[in-house]
Amino acid sequence: MITVHGLSKRFGAFPALKGIDLEVRDGEFLALLGPSGSGKTTLLRIIAGLEFPDAGRVEFNGEDVTGLKVADRKVGFVFQHYALFRHMTVADNVAFGLSVRRRGQRPPKAQIRARAEELLDLVQLGGLGHRYPAQLSGGQRQRVALARALAVEPQLLLLDEPFGALDAKVRKDLRRWLRQLHARMGLTSIFVTHDQEEALELADRVVVMDRGAIEQVGTPEAIYMGPESAFVSDFVGESNSLPVTVTGGRAHLFDRPIDVALNGAADGAGRLDFRPHDVSVCDEQAGCLPLLVTGVYRRGGEWRVEGEVAGIDRTIEIDVSAAHSAPEIGTRLGLRIERARLFQTGEQP
Amino acid sequence: MTSRPAPGGGARFALIALAIGFLALFLLLPLVAVFAEALAKGFGAYAAAIAEPDALAAIRLTLLVAAMAVPLNIVFGIAAAWAIAKFDFRGKAILTSFIDLPFSVSPVVAGLIYVLLFGAQGWFGPWLRAHDIQIIFAVPGIVLATVFVTFPFVARELIPLMSEQGRDDEEAALSLGASGFQTFRRVTLPNIRWGLLYGVLLCNARAMGEFGAVSVVSGHLRGQTNTMPLHVEILYNEYNFVAAFAVASLLALLALVTLILKSIVEWRFDHQRGGAGH
Repeated sequence: MITVHGLSKRFGAFPALKGIDLEVRDGEFLALLGPSGSGKTTLLRIIAGLEFPDAGRVEFNGEDVTGLKVADRKVGFVFQHYALFRHMTVADNVAFGLSVRRRGQRPPKAQIRARAEELLDLVQLGGLGHRYPAQLSGGQRQRVALARALAVEPQLLLLDEPFGALDAKVRKDLRRWLRQLHARMGLTSIFVTHDQEEALELADRVVVMDRGAIEQVGTPEAIYMGPESAFVSDFVGESNSLPVTVTGGRAHLFDRPIDVALNGAADGAGRLDFRPHDVSVCDEQAGCLPLLVTGVYRRGGEWRVEGEVAGIDRTIEIDVSAAHSAPEIGTRLGLRIERARLFQTGEQP
Repeated sequence: MTSRPAPGGGARFALIALAIGFLALFLLLPLVAVFAEALAKGFGAYAAAIAEPDALAAIRLTLLVAAMAVPLNIVFGIAAAWAIAKFDFRGKAILTSFIDLPFSVSPVVAGLIYVLLFGAQGWFGPWLRAHDIQIIFAVPGIVLATVFVTFPFVARELIPLMSEQGRDDEEAALSLGASGFQTFRRVTLPNIRWGLLYGVLLCNARAMGEFGAVSVVSGHLRGQTNTMPLHVEILYNEYNFVAAFAVASLLALLALVTLILKSIVEWRFDHQRGGAGH
């Protein structure tokens, strides 16, 4: 188990991490998700030993490794831009970690070569060992990087934006393949991404970060269905938000009550967030929100309807079943919000 | 078509002729003149001028100075480029501009600085004399002046290359358990080898050809502290043109060899970069 206690790090005047506490369970696939500047890569690099914290502790299985260098931590690190050694063949790249071991611990040459072949087979690049990195595609290079990291039998695998430099199709294939590989090997793994779809698809648990702090930790389902802060609600999945005032346990948009369960929110100003699919269409009557349709297009089995609510300058997006005919642009639609979350704000709506 | 039309036959011919004529007049003709003048009295006179003891001493000294200055600047250059390209520290900008100092200051001034420091009247002069160490008007002074003047070549070549390559490769090697030295030898050095070779060639050419700074600290003792460029000047001032141009032709030859090697290295360098797909 990997434990992080009170980790802080500044780069000059910029606070990259502000007191991070985190537990990573054995065998889990954990995503660090956040926008750029959220500190996710810094956290990953500190866990790896490529960066050192100003304050706080990193423990591997209860053992304090905060001061240990990367070479002594037994971690595999995969870089966004692969960082393959361009002057070495693919096989030599994979064998590098074994070939730099001290004389007593270094396996014989034939054994190193066999191990490299085995790993190349594992990442489905068997027979390409004699090539140079420049002769491989992006997806192949990243798999070589992965094989190279696995060669030293790490107790922890760290991946920094592993799909960031790949095009969409390759990214999707590699993602599916990596999830299968993880399921097969069960190696504790942490990966950094700014792509929420990637985090939700791959990870057992997702850590959402913003401005050097952890916003929420949970399963993809929990994060998507129950964002605990306005930031998570915005960042993970699509969501609409309405500025509301809560009085007597009910949300009001410009003094007009909105009929949605709030689970006992306190009175005051707030932000009512709802997903595009958490609405249903109803007649324009009391409790239904009038939406002026400004755009319609098909998204799979649904109509994605864009519209305006009077007095709100943000476009509202909702999904309407394609079983209905497409709403006409310029007409009005009544909305019932089925499920929403309220975040208290200081500002007046 | 948005591209401009190619100049007509006449204009194109004129431009090419102008370029070739310019090259011939200012580069090729002097080079030919050096060899023509050197061989003016036949190959025998040419060989004799080079085999003359003072000329041999000058050649030997030039090779010795280059053999000391170039390795020193390889070490300094790699160290400086490594520090500047791969780490952030206070005073980095100042260090970067200091590396360019030898390029921006006149070589004569560079020589004078060493006279000021190590000469008989200089800051360390009395101490050096008390310990019977001679730097100015001796080989150590010549080496120092040459090191100063040729310092930027290796570092200048490596800094942009190493900055562009970033720290990922080294970090990857370290994360795989390599030691600092293993990382340098097996990852960093191979990554910079062509750029390094290019810098070394330029450094060497300048080390052998340097005149100004060396002239100030040398003392011009024939057969003792004369390098090839200084020897050429002395012979020329004595109206010994065949000998002067004979030695000069060796320097010209060095320039040609450097140019050819440089082209080969550049070609390999581009090839490797292009092949890396960055």
